[in-house]
Amino acid sequence: MIHALIFLPLIFGVLALLNPSSARALGLVGSFLTLLLGVASFGGFLGGTDYAFHTPLLAEAGVYYAVGWDGVGAVLMLAVVVTTFIALLAAHDVPPAMVGLALMMETGLLGLLAAQDLVLFYVFFEATLIPSLLMLGLFGGAGRVRALIKFAIFTLVGSLLMLAGILAVRYLGGAPSFLLGDLLAHPLGGSVGVWAFVAFLLAFMVKTPLFPLHVWLPDFHAENHPSGLADVMGTLYKVGLFGFFRWTLPLFPEAFALFQPYLLALAALTAVGAAWIAYAQTDWKRLLAYGALSHMGIGALGLFSGTPEGAVGAIFLLAASAVYTGGLFLFAGGLYRRFGTMDLRPTSGLAKSAPALAALGLILVLAMVGLPGLSGFPGEFMNLLGAWQASPSWTFVGFLAVIAAAAYALNAYQQVFHNAPERPAADLDAVEWQWGTLATLVIVFMGVYPKLFTSAILPAAEALAAVLGGGR
Amino acid sequence: MTTLWILFLTALVTTFSGFFAPPRTIKALTLVGMAATLVSLAFGWGETVVAYGGMYTFDAFAQGITLVMVVGAMIALLADCDYHKRLGWPAFEYYPLVAFAVLGGHVMASTPHLGVMIVGLEILSIPLYALAASRRSERGFEASLKYFLLGAVAAAFFLYGIALYFGATGGFVLGAQGSGLVWAAAVMMLMAGLAFKAALVPFHWWTPDVYQGSPSPVTLFMATAVKAAAFAAFARVVVSVGLGGPAFYALAALVLLTVFWGNLVAMVQGEAKRMLAYSSVAHAGYIAVALFGPNPAPALGYYLLAYALSTGLAFAVLAQLDEGEGVPLRSLAGLWGRSPLLGLGWTVALLSLAGLPPLVGFWGKYMVFLEAARGGQYLIVALALFAAAIAAYYYLRLLGAALFSKAEKAEPVALSGSAPVGIALATVLVVLLGVLPGLGYGLFTAASAIIR
Repeated sequence: MIHALIFLPLIFGVLALLNPSSARALGLVGSFLTLLLGVASFGGFLGGTDYAFHTPLLAEAGVYYAVGWDGVGAVLMLAVVVTTFIALLAAHDVPPAMVGLALMMETGLLGLLAAQDLVLFYVFFEATLIPSLLMLGLFGGAGRVRALIKFAIFTLVGSLLMLAGILAVRYLGGAPSFLLGDLLAHPLGGSVGVWAFVAFLLAFMVKTPLFPLHVWLPDFHAENHPSGLADVMGTLYKVGLFGFFRWTLPLFPEAFALFQPYLLALAALTAVGAAWIAYAQTDWKRLLAYGALSHMGIGALGLFSGTPEGAVGAIFLLAASAVYTGGLFLFAGGLYRRFGTMDLRPTSGLAKSAPALAALGLILVLAMVGLPGLSGFPGEFMNLLGAWQASPSWTFVGFLAVIAAAAYALNAYQQVFHNAPERPAADLDAVEWQWGTLATLVIVFMGVYPKLFTSAILPAAEALAAVLGGGR
Repeated sequence: MTTLWILFLTALVTTFSGFFAPPRTIKALTLVGMAATLVSLAFGWGETVVAYGGMYTFDAFAQGITLVMVVGAMIALLADCDYHKRLGWPAFEYYPLVAFAVLGGHVMASTPHLGVMIVGLEILSIPLYALAASRRSERGFEASLKYFLLGAVAAAFFLYGIALYFGATGGFVLGAQGSGLVWAAAVMMLMAGLAFKAALVPFHWWTPDVYQGSPSPVTLFMATAVKAAAFAAFARVVVSVGLGGPAFYALAALVLLTVFWGNLVAMVQGEAKRMLAYSSVAHAGYIAVALFGPNPAPALGYYLLAYALSTGLAFAVLAQLDEGEGVPLRSLAGLWGRSPLLGLGWTVALLSLAGLPPLVGFWGKYMVFLEAARGGQYLIVALALFAAAIAAYYYLRLLGAALFSKAEKAEPVALSGSAPVGIALATVLVVLLGVLPGLGYGLFTAASAIIR
């Protein structure tokens, strides 16, 4: 079943590319079937099955096709299948090829979450870049080529350095293969370990993203197709926190201990700096890009604390933010469809003429702000709880970012929906009702019953904290 | 022995039947000869054949190289059709000359004897001088003359090297060890002579002009088959003299200069063939990275195959667009709309050359870097990887020129004859061998030793 789950979107993606006229139907059916498989797999995982499978891919070089679900992978997998389905449901007016590329990206994302072999992880991680680049290059705005080059160079420099690190981890550490278990049994310490850690660190800092390697992100979002589909897939592709959790931190506990204070500082500064910049934005996509960046900073703060609470919080935040940030990008796409602009200012006073639209916007914004009862809160809370144990002062700085989130998100909301003059606009159409309802249900469910997910993540988080020495 | 004879007879038969049969028939004959070579390779795969008192040693390494050359030649033959018709390209000589060049490369790859090696080198080179000029245009003549003069210099280097090698060791067969100044000079000369042919910086100066000036199918052949043959000889020389002392620093300098210079200069080119010429220079550097490992033969052969398929595919697409004056970047615009097959082939080829998984180019890079890592050369691996990241910039530029910009002229590209077959086949292979890396790499694992 795990292979069907990983490769089903790819098959539907290729079909959608070959049949542009029925791309939308194929996209919906493909992502819905994947969603069903994903939910069933998650159920199976909770029932105690890990779907582990492995077979040699390039036996001479110790590379295996090894996949399986652990708690972290399964929770994020669920976020990917749900969010992709919501995005494909919402984006009904995109060019047909984009649907195919989005489905191909889904395969890459599921593969990198399931991979239990470092080289296989790298292959999926890099392969996902191809449809992402094509989406930006083919359907982006006027400055797309510049944004594309920036995005590609940051990603590739990071990941090629990581490839060097991958080779070093195995050959200097003496592991017989690239399987996660083998690598963990042969840790690489000393100064070489530090260098390999830095290589991994840079790759995942680009993809978290963390200051100062985040500069590709605003352009990436601002130049992508206004429908928001590419932005949602790009948001899902920000798997840096997962990369730290699954690979970097467990492989290099010694080097991490050395860097921990600086990484905590970097995470806190990313959170606060991005929130500050987000406040000044007047463009929906840039605002959301910086807002998401700020949240990733909070997640990184929790993860780098080395405590089980922080690690659970980071992964929960990653999963939750995929849904609400993705939803906000799609929501902004809906506004673009109505007014032909991503600018916040000229679309004021919508609440009167489009109350349902305003309500959907409010739910998404409040989830982002971290209102208790919605999906943003548990993650942020656990992150700060974990971070407090490692560094109260940086946690205080991170907390400022949480307050700032309320400022920039509610400010934007007020500008669009409540400022005078009032603007006539169409309320939610049928498609928007559908995806809006679905997204709201997911956000509320994650908010009121986070235990389902946190308890799945907890064993892995405790194992990680044990390796890292509990952050103290 | 069968392989040698098949190649020899293919070259002879196509030469003479060209006097009375139409070019189409000659092309078919050459392709049949290449296919027969593949069959004979398959039957003798992994078994070493030694003949002529050891002067001809057809071991697993040479078999891998011959496979790469035949693949390159077949893509070049399949992709030429439309080019030939559009530009009124001179009749049949193309086919026997390609066959002779493959024969020369095969000889060059299958011998530990330096004398035989230079005979193979000349059998390979002389048809290429003619091929470069075969369109009979100014640019073609310039390319041919440059190639000829610099090729002669390279041969001279190599011959001096042989003489010094004889002086230092008292023989012509690779595998002997010498010492002292004469020995060091011999090693340097031999390496320099072959570095010319393999286009390693700073011996690469002919490459961009020759690749740009030659007809595109010929460029394709040079970038794939000729590079493979040159590397076979280069690898044999480097491995047999060993990487102790000055040879190590010479090779490290060649590799690092090549990957950085090739990639950096490729970034500022405005013409696709020239850009790919510099890209092929850079790839020569990656291939040579494998030589730092303890057992370079499998990785080196595999990289050559991966590279030949990818770069062959890229040049095959350009051959369909080339009007005889090269392919400026802006004339690539809207490629996908003008011909989906060319668009797909171009995308796959460039992503593979850039080294993105799951395409075969990634596994090629992965295996050579792995090999160097096994040899403990982490610094060289890290620097070469950094150069690969620079390279992504111009591959994306080439890809962007074709995909992300509007077309000036939107008329579809008419593909005829065997070109679509060649392009489709190469595209499928690049993807298939990328998804199942064991399939391609398994072919080369038998080549455990370059020198015996």
